[in-house]
This record gives sequence, C-alpha cells and structure tokens, in this order.
Amino acid sequence: MVEGVVSLTKTFEARAKSPAKRRRLMPVSIALCFFFLAIMVLMVLFGPLLAPHDPQAQNALAGSAGPSAEHWLGTDMLGRDVFSRLVSGARSAISGPLVIAIGALVCGNILGLLSGYRGGILDFVIMRWVDLMVAMPSLLVIIVAAGALGGGYWMAVALLGVLSVPFDTRVIRAATLEQMPRPYVEAAKALGVPNRRIMFLHIWPNIAATAFANTFLVFAGSLIALSGLSFLGMGAEPGTPDWGQMLAENQSLLFANPVASIAPGVAIILAATATNLIGDWTFEKISSRGATR
Amino acid sequence: MNDSIEQPGAPGAPVLSVRRLKIGRAGLGGAGAIVSANEFDLAAGESIGIVGESGSGKSMTAKALTGLLPPGVVANGVAEYGGRNLLGFSEREWRSIRGSEICTVMQDPFTMLNPVMRCGHILQESMAPGRRLSRAERRAESVRRLAEVGITDESVVDRYPFQLSGGMRQRVAIAAALARDPKVLIADEPSTALDVVTQREVLALIKRIQQARGMSLILITHDLRVAFATCDRIHVLYAGALVEAAGAGAMQSEPLHPYTQGLLLSEPPADRRVRELVAIPGSVPSAGEVQDRCPFATRCQWVAEVCRDGVPELQAVADGHESRCVRLPEIRTEMAEIRARAVEPAPALPDGRTGAALVEVEHIEKVFNSGSRTVRAVDDASLVVRDGESVGIVGESGSGKTTLARMLVGLETPTAGDIRIDGISVRDWRALGDQDRRKLRKTVQMVFQDPYSSLNPMRSIGWTLKEAITTHQSGPADIAGRVSDLLESVGLHREYAQRRPSALSGGERQRIAIARALAAGPRLLICDEPVSALDMSVQAQILNLLEHLRTERGISYLFITHDLSIVRQASDFLYVMNGGRVVESGPTEAVLDHPQHAYTGELLRSVPRSDGNWLGASA
Repeated sequence: MVEGVVSLTKTFEARAKSPAKRRRLMPVSIALCFFFLAIMVLMVLFGPLLAPHDPQAQNALAGSAGPSAEHWLGTDMLGRDVFSRLVSGARSAISGPLVIAIGALVCGNILGLLSGYRGGILDFVIMRWVDLMVAMPSLLVIIVAAGALGGGYWMAVALLGVLSVPFDTRVIRAATLEQMPRPYVEAAKALGVPNRRIMFLHIWPNIAATAFANTFLVFAGSLIALSGLSFLGMGAEPGTPDWGQMLAENQSLLFANPVASIAPGVAIILAATATNLIGDWTFEKISSRGATR
Repeated sequence: MNDSIEQPGAPGAPVLSVRRLKIGRAGLGGAGAIVSANEFDLAAGESIGIVGESGSGKSMTAKALTGLLPPGVVANGVAEYGGRNLLGFSEREWRSIRGSEICTVMQDPFTMLNPVMRCGHILQESMAPGRRLSRAERRAESVRRLAEVGITDESVVDRYPFQLSGGMRQRVAIAAALARDPKVLIADEPSTALDVVTQREVLALIKRIQQARGMSLILITHDLRVAFATCDRIHVLYAGALVEAAGAGAMQSEPLHPYTQGLLLSEPPADRRVRELVAIPGSVPSAGEVQDRCPFATRCQWVAEVCRDGVPELQAVADGHESRCVRLPEIRTEMAEIRARAVEPAPALPDGRTGAALVEVEHIEKVFNSGSRTVRAVDDASLVVRDGESVGIVGESGSGKTTLARMLVGLETPTAGDIRIDGISVRDWRALGDQDRRKLRKTVQMVFQDPYSSLNPMRSIGWTLKEAITTHQSGPADIAGRVSDLLESVGLHREYAQRRPSALSGGERQRIAIARALAAGPRLLICDEPVSALDMSVQAQILNLLEHLRTERGISYLFITHDLSIVRQASDFLYVMNGGRVVESGPTEAVLDHPQHAYTGELLRSVPRSDGNWLGASA
C-alpha cells in the first residue's frame, strides 16, 4: 500500500513534467485523496515523532478539556491528548484493512481465476462456498466468533479477511468469464500454452484493473467494519489508540469536548472516501491502457 | 412537406451539392483531419457510390450530411440542399430535413433497431407526424410499407427485431427510413454485416426502390464491385481525400488513379484464378498524416518528388472523369500494361489429389445445448486434408465451418464422429497424453479471424512470439534471433518486437498472428477467415503472404471463408458447407466452374460482380 501510493505519486509527478500529457492530469479531488492518504501514511510511519504528546499519558487533572494551544483537539476523560491519539490511531486504521485487502486480493484472484477458467466441478464447489459465505451476515458472525474465541484486533482482521475473499472471488470470476471467449485466450490455447500461464500471464493482466479497483473497495469497507468492531469493543484492545474506540469512549464527552468524538469519526469517513475515489480513478487509468474493453 | 425549404430545382440540377468538405476534430488543426477534401453533386434520381477503406472518411461524410457527427467533430465547407447549406444547420433545422428529405440506413441491422419496440411501432414512429390516423389505418400503412421492401408476412408488424433475421431487420430499417418518402437516401454499408446471399437481396431491393421512386441514393461501401453494380457514378475516397470520380463504366474499364487501380486489382476476381494478386504495400494512413502531399504517395509505385509537394488538385482527365493524380499523363500507359498483365490466368492446377492424408475428419457431429434449445452446428461432415494441399471450406455464417475448425485444434469437442490428425485420433483433446498433445500442436496451428482481438492487448509482440517459441521448444536457444526470423518471414522489421498490438494496423496484426502460428513449425495451418476483418488493399498482401509461405515451407492449409473469390485464389480442393453439412466437394476450379449442388450455384450467383446484372431479376 505504501509503495503503491508512492509509485502512483511518482507517475503523477512524471506526468506533470511532460508537457504533452499536462492536459490530462488528475482531477483535483483525486489529488486531494492522494494528499490525505499520504498524510495517513506519514502518521503510520512516523506517528510517535509527529504526536506532540504520548498518546497513553494520562492526566486526570486536565481531563475532558476543550481544544487549546497545548491540546489541539482537547483531551479525553482520562486527560489523554486527543490529537496524539488520532495520529497514533492511523496505525490500526490502516494496517488491518491493508492486510485484509492484500489477502483478499491474492486469495480472491487465485480462486476467481481458477473458478472462471477451469469451470466444471471446481467452479461449482467454489461458487457454492462463496454463496454460503455471502449469505452469512458478516458482522454478526464476527461478533459471535470474536465473543467465543476471545476477540482482539488481529482476530477481527483475520475473520474479516476470510469473509472478504468470497466477494473478491465472485468479481474476479465474472471478469475472467468475460475474457474467456476472447480470441487471444483461444489463440493461446490453440498454441498449446499451459493453462497456468494462460490464467496468470494472459488473462490476469487484462483484468488487473478490476482486481485493483476491487482491492481499494475492500480496503475502505474493512476500514469501516474494523472501526465499527472497535466501537463495539470487539476490535482493538482497550487502551490502544484506535479511531473506532475513540469514537465510543469519547461519546460521553459530546458536550464537554465534542471534537474528541467528532475528529475520529471524520477521519474514518475521509479515509474510506479517499480510498474509494482512488479505487475508481485507478480503474479508469488502468483500463484506458487498452485492457478490459 | 416543409415550406421553409425550397423544393430542389430544375431537372438535371443537383439535389445535393457538396463542395470543399472538410471534417476534423475540433481544436487540433490539420493533425485532427478526418476528411480533408471531398466534393460531389447528386442529381435527382441519381445513385452515387462513395468507396473507401476504413479511415477514408466515408462514414463521417455520411454523418456530416445528416447532422449526426459525434461531439468534438466539426464539418466545414458547403453542402447545398434546396438553396441552403446543411453544414450550418442547427439541431432544430436538422429535424425538418432528417427522415423527410434525407434519410439514412446504417450498417449494423442488429443494433440499429430499438430492441424493445415492435417493428410496426418502429415504422409508425418514423411516419410523417401531423397526419392523424386510426390504429387500424396505421397498421395497414405499416403492412403496406413492409410489402414495399419485400416482407409480405403481416405478422412481422407485431414482432420484435430480435425475432427477425439480419436481412429482415435491414429490410425493416429500410422501410423505416423511407417512411416519410425522402428525396435522398444515404446507405452506409447497408449489406456489409449480412451474408452474401442476403447482401445481394438487400442491395437489389435498395436499387429497385431507388429507381422506382426516382430517389437519389448515396451508397457508402468498401467494395468497388458492389458500388459498380449499384451506382451510376463512383467517388473513391482515400485517407480523407477524393482521389477519383467517374461514371461506373468508365472507372471499371480504365481507372485513372493508382489507388483505384490498386484497389481493383487487389480484389481477387470471382471467375478465374490469377497468377498473383497485385497488392498495394503498406497500410492506409490517417488523413492528418498526409495533409501536405498526395494522400497515396506513401504507397504508390510511381511516387515522385512532385507528389510530395502539396496536395494535388482534382483534374478533369476525360469527360466526367476526374482524378487527383499529378503524374497521370506520364504513367497512364504503364497502368494499362499492369492491368493487362494482371488478368493473365494462373497455370492450371494438376488434377487429382496426391500426398498422404494429414487430417481425416469422419462423420463428425457437434451439438450445442443452450437451455432447452439444441443446435446442430456440424452434422455428419467428413473431409480430408492431404500433405502440402490447400483445402478450402466455404459457407455462410451458421454453416458450421468455424465450429469444424475449432474442433480440429481442440477448442471444441465433437459430439460424435472421429478426427485423425497424422494418425492420432483426437476426438477428445483432454484425453490425450502429453506427448501426443505436443506432437499435435506442432502439426496443426490456427490463424484467427479478428487480428484486433486475437493478440493479448497487454503484451508486446516480442513477448507473444517468444511465448509461442518457448512453448514448443525447450532448451536455451537463440530466442531473440528466432523472434527476428519469424518477424522477417512475415515481412515485418524486427523492431516490431517492442510494440504493443494497439500500435499496429490490422494487416500488421494479422502478420503477427501468422508468425505466432508458424513458431510451432506446423504442417497444417488453419486459417479462419484470415482476411475478412482487413481492408481491401491489405487483404491481397496477406493472401500473397500465405501463398508465399506455402510454397516456401510446403505446409498444408485449411482455408475457411465465406468469400468464393478468395477460395478460388487460395485453395486446390473445396468443400461447400451449408447447415452443418458438406453439400459439395471437389477440386476448387471444377466446383466453382460447374457447381452440382443448388446451394453452390446460389452462392456463386451472390458473389458481388461489377456488372448490373448481378442485382437483376431474382431480387
């Protein structure tokens, strides 16, 4: 993810330099999304350096205070600096969804390609499994499973990951089926190219746009879901800085220091929206190179 | 019909007069040109043909004349109709012209009719507004209109377009276009998407109605033979410029522009086999690339400095015959000599079939099940391809010829019957051992119809060819060298290895597809309509290349096509397929000269011929 953002920004800069392509730069909204994600990445990498205070340091005397020069976003009930906790919270906001998105990308693509390309019994088995998984209300399953197995952030991540794979599988299978009857696939078959090569070296580059766009969707979706779980107390361990948890903890301060619960909420919405928009844009970008259509 | 428009004037005066027509993408100047110089007069009751390959700007001309140019494309010049310039019309003004004065029939009958409207509704919608008619009257009118286009079955009024065949749909579209009795009909490739037999019927219908109504017709086509048979005057467009205009007869007997001549000679003649097709080298440039010179200069064998020195003027070279060639006086005799040489017949082929059988197909069947419907695509077909022989399979769409080819390379599995390739029985490719399969892939390779989609769009040419080589040969050989050799053998420079398919023209892509098939060193090359997606001037190049490769490498061909003239040129032995069955077979010349089966005769009559009789009688 970090590398992805960096390389995308690089191509952005390269484009900006060549005068011929200046006309078709990226829209301002996308640039803003990249800017926001870049800030989030900085917060993940250099969180402790950027935060003005120790996010865990309690100061009961200065609790529930509004924004001030010392505490930009005020303090929470235990007197911890809300801004510092917001900066540190970026880590759990990004790392979990990143693991889920990449895991779903790899597993979903392999299963989807196999299912679409091979067809027959394998397709039937994979698709019935997908139907079963999709039919289950995922948040409920996680709540029950987390309750039974003891919970914790990474447990929630693992469960969400498993539940995201079927979604990816279905999308990739549909995209594969669309490519299957194309003459270039048949030409490769007639040439005697091994099936594995056809799947991964012929078909996949042509559906990569869909795969990546879908990954961004999964990322945004699981960011929201993880925050929701933390809000319910099933995600991040109590005490760790986490946006969802901050939202829950600080809602009692709505009148003393409203910023304390509004700020993490806004951060969640912005992060999810930025990834969604970037996902759409990436799809347009890659598919205009002549794949998919 | 509309008082604001003067009724076009005296007899003989042009109904529509187009001058200095330029069409281009807005804001790009010369580089965005699509049509750089087009002009013509259309008299009342006259039919003119606008002939050109893809990129010649012929369809854009038609769109400009009906105000349907896509956004961002603008037309300049004069198109005078009834004393007014059509090109300056607003959308509101167009509405008083379209349908009632000028109407169009488009290429694809499968997408042109709204699929959720019944045919009767489509017709009624295009009838003149303002005349209040009862439901029954409107229906009667629809039936009458359909009868005019040869549909006597009244129930068609209540059917949806998807329930009709392509030819029927095109007839409905024509009836809808004519519903308000327009004065000018613009037909943009009306028969290209149809089978040969239907093509002749639709063209004959258009010509009959045009003559019966005294309507003016602009026929836009890529096929010179179709234009000669249908139209009085022919205008040849090349890369956006009008290069030659003449009466159909005059142009046919003596084309006076090197491009027209090249186009005429590169079409394989339907009635005889020639020694070698006269191909035009290279491919069609875009109008924007040839703004400062004769558009044909890049491909013309007579090109000289004067040709690159500005765009030549259109000059009258004979009565009613105009050409844009500056060197015409010098090269006219030489052009005549080339024409004379091109008609020399090829030496007769040896009789009888020699060589061992390479492929034997015995009583093969293929049934497709889609839902509750079963389609018998191939029904008890048998054929043999011998070593070193070129075998043709000819038939219309739906005849099962492509399914047969796909079964030969294992893309479909036959329902019954047997296929033996080089002694190995290949009914089911999946049941074969690795060694047999590898041997078969080296024996049979295939070239697909559409070079635009048969190459992986995300991979470079070098990658594609390298894969084809390494699939069939293991060990560290000089792969880069073999890629260069392959490219050279199909007449391309080795630098093509770095390019992506999207940077290549159709002809170049098909060369790559042939090179890919050759990488395996096959003994049989199956060519499924290898030239039908290509421009006319490029078709001959590819046919010549295939012929050259055959003599050089001694491989067999299985040539699948709907075009009898191509099959005559490219094959020794012929199978004619209809409805999944082989209805006739024999040496190509014998079958085409003395067809035994009624269907072969019908096909032969339908092949476009330049003379007017082609569209005669049995329409």
